[in-house]
Amino acid sequence: MTPLEWGIVVLALVGAFFGGVASVGIVRLPDVYTRTHAASKSDTLGAVLAIGAAALAIQTDLATIKAVFLLVFMFLTNPTAAHAVARAAQDQGIEPWTAGDEEGES
Amino acid sequence: MSSDERTGLYVESTIIMTTVRVVSPFVLTFALFVMFHGANSPGGGFQGGVIAGSVVMMLAFAYGIDAARDWLDVRVVAALASGGVLTFAAIGLGTMLLGGNFLEYHLYEQFISHVVAYAIELVELAIGGIVASVAIGLFFLLAAGFGHAVDSPEDES
Repeated sequence: MTPLEWGIVVLALVGAFFGGVASVGIVRLPDVYTRTHAASKSDTLGAVLAIGAAALAIQTDLATIKAVFLLVFMFLTNPTAAHAVARAAQDQGIEPWTAGDEEGES
Repeated sequence: MSSDERTGLYVESTIIMTTVRVVSPFVLTFALFVMFHGANSPGGGFQGGVIAGSVVMMLAFAYGIDAARDWLDVRVVAALASGGVLTFAAIGLGTMLLGGNFLEYHLYEQFISHVVAYAIELVELAIGGIVASVAIGLFFLLAAGFGHAVDSPEDES
């Protein structure tokens, strides 16, 4: 395998790993803030790495440029969406989960 | 619970406003791209219209739904929807006036050359306008909740 193919495989595998971490975080974490944290950070990184692998693998000019655009906008919008969700939750007065209480008291 | 007293009052976030300001021109361009490429690649008026409508939803999320509702005249949305329907109907029924079937584009060929491509794109744009305005209208109706339907005069209760 050429170094380029190794790079594609490594990027895709690491991206899939972070996507899996994000999924586990969304299912297992206790409240909306921690779930937003998992969804924004790991999910953005996983998606960006996977799209980077796709951009390297496609090899045709136009499709690679489209993939890079997708990557940039994913990097911009995904954390902003998570920020908006967390802000809306805070606006509604949802208490953050803290160690010690199983469900945040209201 | 200090956050209780400002529930219901929307405060703008600099992060969301900046991102929306940067991203929305690209999203609108992408909506037109999807609409115009509907004839020969994945995409089309429906998808492009939803993307165009999502621009208004992003603006509403960033600047507050009430501010967006004040900014966007409801007559513009209604004109976009009905204008799309009229464009579609005019193109479709015009071929029937010329003695063909509904949307039989090549009958216009006697007036304009390459008219099939133009007519397809025009129909896609019309569909995009309809879908975008309906999506925007549904979004504002949902955001208004139940109270809006009661006090608006044209709704029977």
